[in-house]
Amino acid sequence: MTAPMVPLDPQKLLSESVLELRGDGKAGGGLVLAFQSLASLLLEDPSIHVQEWPFFSSARRGASIRSFLRVSRKPILAACEVTRPSLVLLMNESVGRSVDFADGVPRGGTFVLNTRRSPEECAAHFHLSGRVFTVPGDEIGQTHLKAPLGNVSAYVAMTQAIGGLAPANVIESFLTMLRKRRIPDSIVERNRTALEASLEAVRSGTFDFARPGDHAPAGFEGYGDLPVGAQTRLRLSQSNRTADYAPSGFRLRFEDPERRCTGCAHCITNCPEGIIHFVPDAEKGLQVTHVDVSQFCKLCGECIETCPEQLFKQVPFEESWEEVATS
Amino acid sequence: MIPEGTAPLPLLRVSTPSGERYDGVVDLEKVRAAHHALHTQRESLIADGNYAAALATLQMWRCVLYPGFPITPSTKWIETVAAKIAEHQPNIKRVKLLEAEHAVADYLAGAAAACRDLVFATATSSVGLDHMTETTRSLGASGLGNVLLIDVYRATANYPLCIEGDPSDTLAHRDDGFIQIACRGKQQIYDTLLQAPCLGMHPDILTPVMPGYYGIKDSHRNARLTVEPDHEIHAFQDRWIRPCPLPGLINGDTAFGNCTTSRWFQGFKIGQKKRMERALEVLPQIGADFERTFGRPGLAYFDAVGFGDDAPPDVAVVTMGPDFGTFEALRPAFEARTGLRAAGLALRLLSPFPREAVRRKLAGARVVLVLNQAHHQGRGHLTLDVADALFPLDQRPRLLSAFAGLGGADVSEATWEAMLDDARAALDGPPPPAYRFYHEGRRL
Repeated sequence: MTAPMVPLDPQKLLSESVLELRGDGKAGGGLVLAFQSLASLLLEDPSIHVQEWPFFSSARRGASIRSFLRVSRKPILAACEVTRPSLVLLMNESVGRSVDFADGVPRGGTFVLNTRRSPEECAAHFHLSGRVFTVPGDEIGQTHLKAPLGNVSAYVAMTQAIGGLAPANVIESFLTMLRKRRIPDSIVERNRTALEASLEAVRSGTFDFARPGDHAPAGFEGYGDLPVGAQTRLRLSQSNRTADYAPSGFRLRFEDPERRCTGCAHCITNCPEGIIHFVPDAEKGLQVTHVDVSQFCKLCGECIETCPEQLFKQVPFEESWEEVATS
Repeated sequence: MIPEGTAPLPLLRVSTPSGERYDGVVDLEKVRAAHHALHTQRESLIADGNYAAALATLQMWRCVLYPGFPITPSTKWIETVAAKIAEHQPNIKRVKLLEAEHAVADYLAGAAAACRDLVFATATSSVGLDHMTETTRSLGASGLGNVLLIDVYRATANYPLCIEGDPSDTLAHRDDGFIQIACRGKQQIYDTLLQAPCLGMHPDILTPVMPGYYGIKDSHRNARLTVEPDHEIHAFQDRWIRPCPLPGLINGDTAFGNCTTSRWFQGFKIGQKKRMERALEVLPQIGADFERTFGRPGLAYFDAVGFGDDAPPDVAVVTMGPDFGTFEALRPAFEARTGLRAAGLALRLLSPFPREAVRRKLAGARVVLVLNQAHHQGRGHLTLDVADALFPLDQRPRLLSAFAGLGGADVSEATWEAMLDDARAALDGPPPPAYRFYHEGRRL
């Protein structure tokens, strides 16, 4: 018979040994900033030691990345990656399709998710046992910062999950960091409203959905294939679904009803996945017709940036989970 | 230690008459007066390795020109330097963004030769360092100890292209003629940078310095950093850095490529080697003065843990970089579990290799486990150096050579445990193979 699940207390871990955190997200999605902000806040207590660092390979925007954070009241010696975190953050829902963000988390750990979904939905979907915190960070970012930036809300949700941190300090520490970076006052103020909205929006609950063997740390299974997200003109990622690496909630759209495409081919030569379709054109050389976003578009944004006619754009797209869709 | 108020005295006299100094061309007092202090008192802040390195060079009044070319993971160094200079205008400090790393090294050579009492720093990584090679080898011989080439370790060779931080770049440049110092952690990076010019510009040494730290693992890792006020840094450095001659360039001609007689050249090469070796004596003196001044450990041959006076360790570990910290964290549990004594050295001075000090430290150990983290044609760069250091001993420890962390891989607790278990088995077992690979918690 399984023993009842007892939530781990982050404050106790911090004081008596070490609190280890890990986050999964996408390059360019604010994960590193969220962890750096949290590290800055925690270091305001002179008795606390932190280590914060990211892991990203040579992948560009859209590829999976990780961030790590150790916090302790004792000097931190260990320098290895965090493999058994007691608190994890899922910054981007779609990462959860490719990576087990809860890998190695002990039963009773804490899970923070940047999502519109409820803690219970998340706990059931990802088979989580412990405390689950959710915050609709992208939505809050869109409302207050005019962009789907979830780092502000993820930072706030993590502070709530750790506990013992006064909301006023949580807000001021973040804003102070922005001011040090010489961010204009108007944007600092927008961040203030985003922080306040995030504090209101954090939801939490304690659940026990993990089955035996769920989230057990994976052992070494060889070096595997070239990781998804590696940038190459050889399109080795054909065998993988690189679209899994697109930010959740968005999709690329190509629209050219007035046939403004000039045939410059910048989008074709810059697309790392070769998914831009075209036909020969006697006058322009070629004419882009459509984009196949079904499997390989990871929304790197190259076409958006290079098209002189601005025919490509990123548009909202609703993710769906099977159990949600059928309920 | 140099008595206060006096210049360090040259001891070697290995060079021919010094080259022209061009005294007065640069008004040093005006340069010093124009320095914009970034910190007026000791402060604690959060920083990553690149920020710590940038800050250290920015706080030196002697460091006013920063040539550079960005390459991951060292890019944030020059970004930080540029941002800080832009924040504090007017400012005599300037960033010089050049077209490639070779040009950076050439710029360093020219500027350092022309202004020998100033310090010229840059940062690079991986193939960036390789691209500098033609000039770094000349710089290593040049006597331009006022050159500070910060190497943010990243696996060298661009096939396949990746950005992970293993030290194969710096270890491939052991013979460039630079004093190479490895750092781990923000504080050590910052403190090492502050001391490096004192070593390189010492009149007996006059050899450029290549401090380095692991890309990503340290360059991008944030932690608390204690920074010192600029005026105290200046006082410390000015105790050691005095008017800086060049060792034996003819008739004041400081250009590279000038011809010499064979006989003179042969003497110069011997002098170059002697200057490098002199760093072994001067480095601990600078480190001791730094510790007296700032209260933190200064330059040293290595960080040592677990070596007591009572008995030598059963297992001694030798490696470099931040992964040594994971061993430090595991060491008490390993000792408790096995009843063995474990100790370790995290090497700091890579070139010249402190063979005598390493031998003294490891003498008596039963097994020495050497962890190499870079591609090597044989048993590992560090293994060969340690083997050489141990060779004169009558009773040599059994040497266990390991490769782990290649390509910047994480050296996890489980990986350390696998290596330590093999070291334990080697105490009484058959001789180990030439080397072994370890990855993600197991021997391959």
